[in-house]
Amino acid sequence: MSQAGVEAASTPPKKSAPRRKLTAFQHMKRDRQLLILFIPCFLFYLIFRYGPLYGLLIAFKDYSVFTGIIESPWVGLKHFINFFSGQDFWKLFKNTLILGVTSMVFSFPFPIILAILLNEVRVKWFKKSVQTISYMPSFLSVVIISSMVIDFLSPNNGIINQILSVFGFESKYFLIDPNWFRPIYIISDIWTHTGYEAIIYMAAIAGISPSLYEAARVDGAKRRHMIFNITLPSLMPTIIIMFVLKTGQLLRIGYEKVLLLYNPMTYDVADVFSTFVYRKGLLEANYSYAAAVGLFEALVAMVLLLSSNYMSRRLGGKGLW
Amino acid sequence: MVKFSVKHLSLFSVVNAIILICLAIITIYPILYITAVSFSDTAAVLQGRVALFPVGFNLDAYAQVLQDDRIPRAYLNTIFYTVLGTTINLLFTAIAAYPLSRAGFFGRKFFMVAIILTMFLNPGIIPNYLIVQELGMIDTVWALVLPNAIWTFELIILKSFYENMSEGLREAAVMDGASEYRILFQIMIPLSKPALASIGLFYFMGHWNSFFLPLIYLNDANMYPLQVVLRDMLIFSEGGVNANLVDASALAPQAMKNATIVLAMVPVLLIYPFAQKYFAKGVMLGSEKG
Repeated sequence: MSQAGVEAASTPPKKSAPRRKLTAFQHMKRDRQLLILFIPCFLFYLIFRYGPLYGLLIAFKDYSVFTGIIESPWVGLKHFINFFSGQDFWKLFKNTLILGVTSMVFSFPFPIILAILLNEVRVKWFKKSVQTISYMPSFLSVVIISSMVIDFLSPNNGIINQILSVFGFESKYFLIDPNWFRPIYIISDIWTHTGYEAIIYMAAIAGISPSLYEAARVDGAKRRHMIFNITLPSLMPTIIIMFVLKTGQLLRIGYEKVLLLYNPMTYDVADVFSTFVYRKGLLEANYSYAAAVGLFEALVAMVLLLSSNYMSRRLGGKGLW
Repeated sequence: MVKFSVKHLSLFSVVNAIILICLAIITIYPILYITAVSFSDTAAVLQGRVALFPVGFNLDAYAQVLQDDRIPRAYLNTIFYTVLGTTINLLFTAIAAYPLSRAGFFGRKFFMVAIILTMFLNPGIIPNYLIVQELGMIDTVWALVLPNAIWTFELIILKSFYENMSEGLREAAVMDGASEYRILFQIMIPLSKPALASIGLFYFMGHWNSFFLPLIYLNDANMYPLQVVLRDMLIFSEGGVNANLVDASALAPQAMKNATIVLAMVPVLLIYPFAQKYFAKGVMLGSEKG
């Protein structure tokens, strides 16, 4: 409690109503029970959210496990210079950007289409069943989804190759072909997330005033007119805000799935910042270099997130806060 | 006119229904196929005779999987991590959300800003790893539950929920001389069950499906949760050689691999019909804040 108090004592709430004027100490004393409840949360954020910022120091040091963070010698920007001048930088930058942008562009329309189609269903049990099925995959873990992908694409008895062989194609090993990595990643992503994201659009559609549809019906509008002239335009604000927010998370690619699906044959197109950091840092124990790469990624991600949040607020939506 | 519109509706509806049925089939087919293979004869699988229903129904694959003691152990590990983790998550989130929901709480604004800032500051894998290491939590269950004890999103959701709860209730309790602890544990928490259920569902799935944290924080194979064992069995062969290159299907019989996948899916698919209501609510609450 005392720690929480000291931390916040620098901003005493002086502007409270005159009849309840409290000094910081009185205020703390009054709220002591709440402050005690708050201790775990305070420690959690201090240690696990702000603590790692101190670990970032190693990006500017030559860290070794034996000397520890403090004792390791300072090396300035050495790791950053190495990273930016090497060829890894451009490869990672390109892959992260391409994978992020293409998966966003291709997967973005699907939840909207699904929500609109579902909205047009008048039979309630059917609508409910399809929706329930649609978000089933979002309950599955990335390991299970990757296993399924590998299983389905297996050259020996994967179902995709079996189907191909029916049409007289040779069986193909998709997962070691660099040309196939991105499509596989994106398609499995669409399969996983469409139903989940459609929920948001379904809710937005539910908020459209029924009187708009009534009026259109009186004017003799057909279903497709209503979709294109009422539903879609009414969804536009939600669509724009979702798009902006997704842009902010462009760099946060599902690196776990990349990690599970890639292999040395596809590193050239599949390696992204996070997977590179994991390999260099944790597998090859190149902590400082990996931390420098991670720091760069974090900075770019932060700029993207902040600007997208700003954009989404400018466009009249809610930002992250 | 009514007749006309009904006729028109039905054509549109038929096309729409067909599209949606196709989408539903595409979504659910992989799951059904995996399940069917897991119950089928190895021979039938190899000949490609399994399409939707098991061919030569048997439980051999499951028997084999359960004989390999890695899977049962991993299963128990996962259950333990999930139960402990979700409990800690809910407890931490609840006792943090309550003070933050109180208008006059000392330092509220400062704390909120500091908490929200962390959504933008994500220093990455290595610094997080170093903290866990410095705290001596590598190869302990704490590495899996404490560094993610609170998800900021979930915290904000619960805080808003408490803010919207009737102030009168709290005041009545204060009149009766109840302490803040009592108000939280005997009034607020019982009344916020729906909100706790929906954030609890996300925490639960986070733990059950977690693979990356156990992968980096646990070295002891006896402690591996299901997802890491699955990865080792299905995606990587044991020596850490990437099985993709050797064709993973050669490592274990198809049916056995699929039985393992099904076993890992069962718990989430079991809670899923019950969880739906809370799931949709959770997504909505989440999207409102982001």
